[in-house]
Amino acid sequence: MKRSVCILTCILLLLCVVLSVVACDREEPDRLVIYNWADYIFSEKLDEFKQYYKDLTGNSIEITYVTFDTNETMLTRLTQGDSRVDVVCPSEYAIQRLIESNMLVPLHYFDEELYVESFSEGVKALYEHNSDNIEQGIIDKVGDPETFGNLTIAETGETVSMVDYFVPYMYGTLGILYNKYDFIDMGIYDTEIMNKANWGIFFNDDGEGNILHEDLTGYILMKDSIRDSYAATIFYLKQRGMLDGLRNEDGVLYTDLSASQLINAVDDQLLKIVRETLVEQKKELFGYEVDFGKDDMLQGNALVDLAWSGDALFAVEESWDSTIVNEDGTKGDYRLAYYVPHGAGNVWFDGWVVPKTYNPDHMDAIKIFINWLNKPEIAAQNLLEIGYTSAVSPKALQDSDEAMQILMEAYDYDFDDEDDYDAFVREFFEFVDEDGESLDEIGQCNWRYPFMTALNEPNPDSPYDRSIGTLGVMRDFGENNKKVVTAWNYARSAGVNALPLLGWTALAVVISVGVLFAVIGVRRWKSHTVKIKS
Amino acid sequence: MNKKLRFRFHRRAFAYPYMIFLLLFVVVPLVIILINAFLNDDKQLTFQNFVEFFSDTGGGLTVLGNSLIIGLVTTLICLVIGYPCAYLLAKYHASNRVLVLLFILPMWVNFLIRTLSTKALFMAMDVKLGMGTVMFGMVYNYLPYMILPLHTTLVSIDHSYIEAAEDLGADKLTVFLKTVLPLSLSGIISGITMTFIPAISTFAISEILSSSKIFLFGDAINMHFSKTTNSFGVGSVMSLVMLVLVVISNVIVNLTSKDEEVASVL
Repeated sequence: MKRSVCILTCILLLLCVVLSVVACDREEPDRLVIYNWADYIFSEKLDEFKQYYKDLTGNSIEITYVTFDTNETMLTRLTQGDSRVDVVCPSEYAIQRLIESNMLVPLHYFDEELYVESFSEGVKALYEHNSDNIEQGIIDKVGDPETFGNLTIAETGETVSMVDYFVPYMYGTLGILYNKYDFIDMGIYDTEIMNKANWGIFFNDDGEGNILHEDLTGYILMKDSIRDSYAATIFYLKQRGMLDGLRNEDGVLYTDLSASQLINAVDDQLLKIVRETLVEQKKELFGYEVDFGKDDMLQGNALVDLAWSGDALFAVEESWDSTIVNEDGTKGDYRLAYYVPHGAGNVWFDGWVVPKTYNPDHMDAIKIFINWLNKPEIAAQNLLEIGYTSAVSPKALQDSDEAMQILMEAYDYDFDDEDDYDAFVREFFEFVDEDGESLDEIGQCNWRYPFMTALNEPNPDSPYDRSIGTLGVMRDFGENNKKVVTAWNYARSAGVNALPLLGWTALAVVISVGVLFAVIGVRRWKSHTVKIKS
Repeated sequence: MNKKLRFRFHRRAFAYPYMIFLLLFVVVPLVIILINAFLNDDKQLTFQNFVEFFSDTGGGLTVLGNSLIIGLVTTLICLVIGYPCAYLLAKYHASNRVLVLLFILPMWVNFLIRTLSTKALFMAMDVKLGMGTVMFGMVYNYLPYMILPLHTTLVSIDHSYIEAAEDLGADKLTVFLKTVLPLSLSGIISGITMTFIPAISTFAISEILSSSKIFLFGDAINMHFSKTTNSFGVGSVMSLVMLVLVVISNVIVNLTSKDEEVASVL
């Protein structure tokens, strides 16, 4: 019996060897593991990438696509898990944290020679580098030593710039989504009133400490996100002069700091003020939104919402109401609108990076994939699908007929019609109407492309400064993270008091027990008297 | 062959897969939580997480207190509404099974969908979201958990006890207070545990029905684990506190129903 087992094992082993040799003979496809936000790519286009990859290298490719829903889950999986992914798309602060903990491989996308070094001659001949398509404004912001230009890798002490590590994908600003028609009814849809209130809109503050409008109380939505709520509160505090005269640990006045420096100057003093302000704000709130903010805005449950420009644009486009009659008699308008605050604001971005746990065999595929995303026609598809602003610049999109065709078709414009073409460029990219007036009556701001209207210098004609310098980039909270979480936990838990509930219940219990005993008592007494009588 | 090595197929073997499952997905995670509660970011032993939770700056105790009160009140309301319901259901049990079905029917719809629709109803009626709506949602969602165990116990009460009491001259109230109520005690207790424990740990109901304004213990734990990275420690401490509460309520249940042979829910 033993012999037969032995023979069987030998045969099986032999079979395995033969099979694996046969399998090796077949051409193995290249592989790529993508780790991305959910709904953050036009997935049907991935097939097109496979074709593109085949044309370029002659090999087929197999893509594994995995998604995450918050930067935090992604970070936990990358730092503690054993997930082997090749390319990830985190937000700026998560990229910072990954770089600082020495977890990323530099890509050098903006140095073409270095980037394509590993490619074979055949690939190099066909390859087209698309780094020039990227919006320069983002690269400038990221390369700024105040933000991410000067990061230190903790383990090695090396100083690096984030620009060498990432390739921007989507970006946007933080602003205020509001219900325009309710604002008109309240009489606060006015350039002066809104610009004066500015960040105060979230706190129902007209900019001077009075309430903006009593009807706003209970209709303001804040984001259930520590970072965004912190940024909005800090900007509000600065605007209202509540930081005047206060100094940080280095003795510098908070008001002298730039927008980037201010949102990143997290210390105990600021945290305490922010905490109190958030608690104070609570009575004005409808709530903190996680996923249903857009729905609440569209249904009119809330009138003001802290929103990223991409989400806001999406919500505005969806709020088209054909029953509204405009001044000129035409019908239909967007019910919602977006306001980009002046003075200080926040710009964020997501970008592609390569974690050190990547599979080195996949490097060429990674590089080709990232570069492919920056082709204008692919960027156009992605921006239509996702709704956020693509990092591929408006100029690059306009230079590509294919991209323009895709975009115009999606918005029902005729690509071959010259008037239509001009109208589309005007409205989509420049965000102005045919008279050259901004589509944003209140802020005169380009919601989709913040870098297009944000001038390098403050506009001398306007008292409201929306220049590039006012847009701050927010770094990771780093070692302050815990303190911020504690402060946020405090702010969220404050103002809720269940004691009255307990009191009322106790009262109800006491009364009902009393009634019960009374009933029993009365019955006993009655039956007693009945017995006596009988 | 050596006889001792032979694997004896016992009926007990059927339980092994489940035991392994329990070990992997219940015991191991609990141990991980326990370890995490005593570790700081650099994986060193610390009590800082406990200090942070029990200190005033984080508002942890406020949240816990609010959750306990809301859980308590929810349970009480569920009992007050649920008992008569279960009583009537048990009374008409034989004649009307459809009635029982009607009470279980809402449980067939997904809990999140039910809660979201409740919110939509409140919004349509112009009701302001807050403590009231959260309480409504809690009672609405956990009422079946109160009714079902009560119903089971009440149905199983031998009717001859009631008849005997009536024969001996007790009026209806006395029959209820002296016979039905004591006999259904085990159902009341398991109903209370089945309502109270999920009610103090919920986070979806408060998130949806108060737009996250009412921040409960479940919300806090959720926040520490899914919306931030390096605060697993405090989150684990909160989970431990939760666990202690569950254990305490189970001990109370077992103590009060020693003779009743009520199997605890857990």
